[in-house]
Amino acid sequence: MATINDTLHIERQAPAYRTFSLPYWNGTKEKKLLVQYDKQVGMYQWFPRATSRFTGRASHLEWREVKGEGEVYSFTIVRRARPPFQGHEPFFLAVVTLPEGVQIMGDTVGISLEEMKIGLKVKPYWHPLPDGFHMLMWQKA
Amino acid sequence: MAMRDTAIVAYAETKIVTKSDKDVWALGADILEELLNKTGMEKGEIDGLILSSSQTGAGNCFWAQATSDQLALEVNFCNTVDIGGCSPTGALARAAIAIDAGLCETVFCLFADTQGRENNSRPRHYQQEWTAPLGLLGPPTSFGFITNRYEHQFGLDYRMLGKLAVAQRNGAVLNDLACEKLRTPITIDDYINSRMIADPIRLLDSVMVCDGASGLLITSKKNAEKKGFKKAVFPIGYGEKTSYQFSENIVDVTNTGHMPAGERALKQAGLTAKDIKSFHPYDDFIIAMMLQFEMIGFCKKGQGCDYIREHDFNFNGDLPLNTGGGQISAGQVGLAGGGTNLVEAVRQLMGEGGKRQVKDTSNAMVTGIGGIPYARNWNTSVVMVLTPNG
Repeated sequence: MATINDTLHIERQAPAYRTFSLPYWNGTKEKKLLVQYDKQVGMYQWFPRATSRFTGRASHLEWREVKGEGEVYSFTIVRRARPPFQGHEPFFLAVVTLPEGVQIMGDTVGISLEEMKIGLKVKPYWHPLPDGFHMLMWQKA
Repeated sequence: MAMRDTAIVAYAETKIVTKSDKDVWALGADILEELLNKTGMEKGEIDGLILSSSQTGAGNCFWAQATSDQLALEVNFCNTVDIGGCSPTGALARAAIAIDAGLCETVFCLFADTQGRENNSRPRHYQQEWTAPLGLLGPPTSFGFITNRYEHQFGLDYRMLGKLAVAQRNGAVLNDLACEKLRTPITIDDYINSRMIADPIRLLDSVMVCDGASGLLITSKKNAEKKGFKKAVFPIGYGEKTSYQFSENIVDVTNTGHMPAGERALKQAGLTAKDIKSFHPYDDFIIAMMLQFEMIGFCKKGQGCDYIREHDFNFNGDLPLNTGGGQISAGQVGLAGGGTNLVEAVRQLMGEGGKRQVKDTSNAMVTGIGGIPYARNWNTSVVMVLTPNG
């Protein structure tokens, strides 16, 4: 079985943000994980949306910083990818559940085939992107 | 129920190929002519046009209108259905609704895509921002997540997934319209040993995207009787669900919209899953069919592998399944691929299955799956029950 690559050396672009997701991306400039929070129902949501998934009211949303420590809900080993990832397979993609009740997908850094499992504890790894932004990846907690 | 008052009076399908040498409208013209030939109807009798999604057509925000123009169809109802792989079955449901509402009487449903020849698709959704930058290839990756999670919760006997792959391949061998590249028999070992794409999704779990077209001619039951059609197939139950549980953050990814959609379709039809005589589930990945067994009620949740072990899914088995090979073994006609499952069900109910004709044609179930959301299973689920006994 091949070793699992991390994807740190792949050339990445600045985020393709939308008007309503820009606050998240601006937070990554300081390696802050900002998540939308519906203050009426007291629930977080991921990914950033134009409105609350709970109430349909954009006016209920605010941004809150979370630690980002969570555990793997599921994962896959990507063995075929498109450029610029092509040729860098295999690598993991993980879905991580945070205690705030959201699930965030990400590439992983430094997690081996033997270590990866559902339930693995992980924390953020911030990888630099152009224009001062960072990309959220997952490393062992 | 109103849907019963409409009749599918003919189906048509082209050969499925990896890359079409014909324009998508030329394939549409072929389907139209075959439907006119089969029914003896004149073009002028068609007064509705409903198209499935199409990656070739996706570059044109006037797709239904432009196709009506190209085929010179003067219609009272003109629509493209854009619920991904659910579009063909969704188009049939919308045709029935339009006819029942008196908006039109005879609808041409066309499912054509030549994405291999000409892909104009540039979808606007979460992917550009949230998954493409992670190197996510698309559907295989998402099904890798789903499959790993299923195995974690319930255990999974991959040989049983292989059994479904083999049964479908047997169907493709008997289907002259299936993509030639896929018409070689396989074994369960071939399935197990096929290379990993996104663990544990294997090559033989996955569809190969292709080009082709299929279509249906649908008219009011009254008109079908008036014209004396000997063969007709009637939709007797339909359920559709989009963004199932999307108001919730954390869901069980092994639950899908086929649960509510199946419940609605079966209730309308007055049947239970046990009564279904042949099953034509949307098959982008093998495990999607197992999840549908569980969600629609062929078996209990988590018991899909046991159910597969106990049944024979060949055309002459106790639950014939995607008897023409399904999309996995006949080729996936882009976003029109659901037409392959749908047309096969209609063909079987008309008794025209030839070498793969199923014995019991009293009903059939067809389903759809459409769209790949973020860290979930899929966006839209549809379930339809058909019968030749109107």
